[in-house]
Amino acid sequence: MSTSHEHHGHGPDDGHGHGHGSPFIQHHYDDAKHQFDSGKLGVWFFLVQEILFFSALFVAYVLYRHHRPEIFAYAHHYLDTQMGAINTAVLIISSLTAAWSVRCAQLGQRKGLILTLSITILCAFGFLGVKYVEYSHKIHEHILFGSKFDPCIASAGNPLLNKGNECPGTKSSVIWDKTAAKPLAGCMEGDLDHDARKPGIQGQCKVAEVKVSGTGEAKKELGRRDLPPCQEPAASEHGDHGGHHGPANPPCFQIVTNPHVCPKGAAAMVLYGDHEVRGSEIEIAASCEPVPAVTPPTTDPFAEPVVAVTPGEAAIAPRHVPTKHELDLEFSKGPPPEHTNMFFSIYFAMTGLHGIHVVAGILVYIWLLIRAIKGHFTPQYFGPVDYAALYWHLVDLIWIFLFPLLYLIH
Amino acid sequence: VANTHHSPDDHDHGIAHVAPVKVLLGTWGALMVLTVVTVLATKVDFGSSINLAIAMAIAVIKATLVILFFMHLAYDKLFHSVMVGGGLLAAGLFIAISLMDSGQYQQNLIWNPAAPPAAPYGPRPLPQ
Repeated sequence: MSTSHEHHGHGPDDGHGHGHGSPFIQHHYDDAKHQFDSGKLGVWFFLVQEILFFSALFVAYVLYRHHRPEIFAYAHHYLDTQMGAINTAVLIISSLTAAWSVRCAQLGQRKGLILTLSITILCAFGFLGVKYVEYSHKIHEHILFGSKFDPCIASAGNPLLNKGNECPGTKSSVIWDKTAAKPLAGCMEGDLDHDARKPGIQGQCKVAEVKVSGTGEAKKELGRRDLPPCQEPAASEHGDHGGHHGPANPPCFQIVTNPHVCPKGAAAMVLYGDHEVRGSEIEIAASCEPVPAVTPPTTDPFAEPVVAVTPGEAAIAPRHVPTKHELDLEFSKGPPPEHTNMFFSIYFAMTGLHGIHVVAGILVYIWLLIRAIKGHFTPQYFGPVDYAALYWHLVDLIWIFLFPLLYLIH
Repeated sequence: VANTHHSPDDHDHGIAHVAPVKVLLGTWGALMVLTVVTVLATKVDFGSSINLAIAMAIAVIKATLVILFFMHLAYDKLFHSVMVGGGLLAAGLFIAISLMDSGQYQQNLIWNPAAPPAAPYGPRPLPQ
């Protein structure tokens, strides 16, 4: 190893590297340039492999977008363009500092090198910070991949019926038939007119009829499949429910109002025996009469205007044709089209893999920063700075395509 | 030290090309401007396919700038350009051929047996 401190240039025209050879020039290379070029070739092979690696995800994206454009038109409203644009700018700034760090290393500017490497690391953390905000919002609203996609909000932001009943706040008390994937009974605060495309309950409803039958443990406990309605109104505290109903404490069902879940009296809850059960323990079949929507007064913007036609004029009244933007807005207020979860499977796969690359880049740049502080890099030995910058530019490059493809769908 | 032999904008470093500050800042500025342009272009309705084409064209321009100037490919060995070109060509073929092929098996797929897809994607009639 000690021999590596001496020069290894053999060529008579080798104009550098002799007097100030770096200790990091390995002895199996002819000279510094040979080592640098060999490393760079390897890095380019790695980067080409990365392009092919990511291209598989781009294939998934292109095919799904080609076959299901409406999913992409709907789902991209869930993404915050501003966040994506900020992250694009952050990555471009870090790309500049990464490229500049190569220049600093080549010219032996140690302070500049430390500064540019530090800014690059800070930008990378900034990128991940914005991603954290975006991801946590999606986790909060159940806008996730695959079967975990059960959004609490439409892509326009209004509340939606949600299968899991786990949305923050008390938006929904809907009891879902998970196998048939449709709501059985329940209520929902807010405006659900746009849920008309979903089977089952439309917005606020009053439960008209409930049929209950047990499954699994509940079936054993019930002893029979159908429950009679309770004879008396349920006690307000269902814990002492049995005490008021004689020794038999017969299982029965009762439609109740739960003020915590459903303040407007439209919830179907079931009480049997002395405890309260929900859809996971018993099967509930309820029919639900929608509360008729209050029709607004006659100021219908889409009504054909009455136009006094003077003889001789064309008798065609101008009609309001909804613009593409208005149609898009209406669409995004409704529930997601089928298989929207695929968009988020692709979104999380692509941004997640990209995020992993950012994390790897941070680790590499921290290592470079430590070495730069130690003064390892000289105009003869700056390969690692150059290779890391090439990698970092590729990470930027992929984001340059991800940003318009995911956030800027028109 | 070594950099006394080189002026700050000496492009011929001996080992590799040194990017001038002007090139770095110019590339960065162009990338930032193009980012703003691509966001603004989305807000104008040119029709979805033209909007997509504009966004992709801007992305390709941005990627080219990054590759040529930040990644030094404009000053680098030709072989590196051939490698990148080959990789991009392979990725392009991968996407294009998959896209051409993707409709091929639709008639064999029934997403929902209760509601089979309508023609021309419906199940193929069994041979008699």
